[in-house]
Amino acid sequence: MIRRVLSIAAIVVTALLLQSTVFAQLELLGVRPELLYVVTIVIAVLEGPNEGAVVGFVCGMSQDFLLAGPKGITALTLTLLGYAMGLVRTYVTSPSPLLPTTLAAVGTAVGLAFYETVAFLLGQFDQPIGYAIKVILLASAYNAVLTPILYPLLRRVSEGSRRRRVVRF
Amino acid sequence: MVLVSISLAVITLDYRGGTEGPLAVAGRAAQEGIAPLQKAVTTVTRPIGDFFSGLAHLPSLQDENDRLTAQVQDLSAQVAAASYLREQLAALQDQLGLQGTLDPPSVAAVVIATGISNFDWSVTIDRGSEQGIEVGMPVVTGGPTLDAAELVGRVIQVTSHSSVVQLILDRRHAVAGVLSSSGETGLITGQGDDDLRMDLVTPGTGIGVPEPVYTTSYEVNGHPGRYPPGILIGTVDRVTPESNAIQESIQVRPAVDFSMLEFVLVLQIGTEG
Repeated sequence: MIRRVLSIAAIVVTALLLQSTVFAQLELLGVRPELLYVVTIVIAVLEGPNEGAVVGFVCGMSQDFLLAGPKGITALTLTLLGYAMGLVRTYVTSPSPLLPTTLAAVGTAVGLAFYETVAFLLGQFDQPIGYAIKVILLASAYNAVLTPILYPLLRRVSEGSRRRRVVRF
Repeated sequence: MVLVSISLAVITLDYRGGTEGPLAVAGRAAQEGIAPLQKAVTTVTRPIGDFFSGLAHLPSLQDENDRLTAQVQDLSAQVAAASYLREQLAALQDQLGLQGTLDPPSVAAVVIATGISNFDWSVTIDRGSEQGIEVGMPVVTGGPTLDAAELVGRVIQVTSHSSVVQLILDRRHAVAGVLSSSGETGLITGQGDDDLRMDLVTPGTGIGVPEPVYTTSYEVNGHPGRYPPGILIGTVDRVTPESNAIQESIQVRPAVDFSMLEFVLVLQIGTEG
């Protein structure tokens, strides 16, 4: 259990560091990937809705505390996104290797749209609609490109830290 | 359901707590913890990023080189003239018994991280309260003197060894500006990844393109000047008359290239607002 918590914590801290440093230099057309969305979606796809929600909450809360803006909205978004993506994976049993990529693209788009809507309703979103749509489309595309690279890595870490059952004869 | 409830509670607490609430304190603690890691990652990855960035900009580098060579020659002449004027100023200050200098003390800092989301227009620097930085201090780049400085933003959060700087691109950021030739003042607000916008300028002012825009300390429509006067904000890029015809809307291109921002200076002066 401790090993699993430490593994997830290491994934989240690494994603936060990369998002705030390296990915800032990888900005294309004024938009960068949303790495914590990818982490939440991939873990949810691998582990199901409950763990997806927990990892989404941790990712969102960590990002919120480093934001100069309002706090809590990313945590709410990623918690619901993690749960929803885990549920989708439960019902969609396609063996296609493109499934995680598709879910990452759709999940990122839905998640960002939800974030923008909640922030707007709370009076905390002051971007024009054109920029909001641009971020949704481009960040979803970038996350879809990143997923085939990150999915095997995250699956390895996730499966490696799972509790092993000991079978005695 | 529990996690959703906690998220909603955090949103409410943050909304009610403001900048001094428990969540703001927790945010500063998180910043304090992650800043050394961000600094380490940036130190390792920046040369690699610069290399790929250089490759991407290769076609424009020759033009940039020619332009900068011409600019260096021009500036060399200006520096020669300025050094004479500076000596003259020092002599006059001595004669009049004036103390100190017109340029405020500053702290040099390295940019170690940027805002973590696509909706966050801020950077983190590697200097904090231990180095004398306080919330509200102006941040510039380009040179240690006000006449060579270009406006970056202002400090909005400070921990012991790092600070968060709100960029002038942020839509919540406003600065009073003055057009260099006409002396007309206006309010310049951030527009995200678009150019800055200068409002409240009287129609028919006769604005040139590209005309430099500097900070001013005058109060404009209730917004007090947060910065010392004379810092270059940017240059006028486009002028469009507003439909109400009682003011002109001006697009101002920032002087700073924020995608290449690596080093800044924090001006250690008291600020208002």
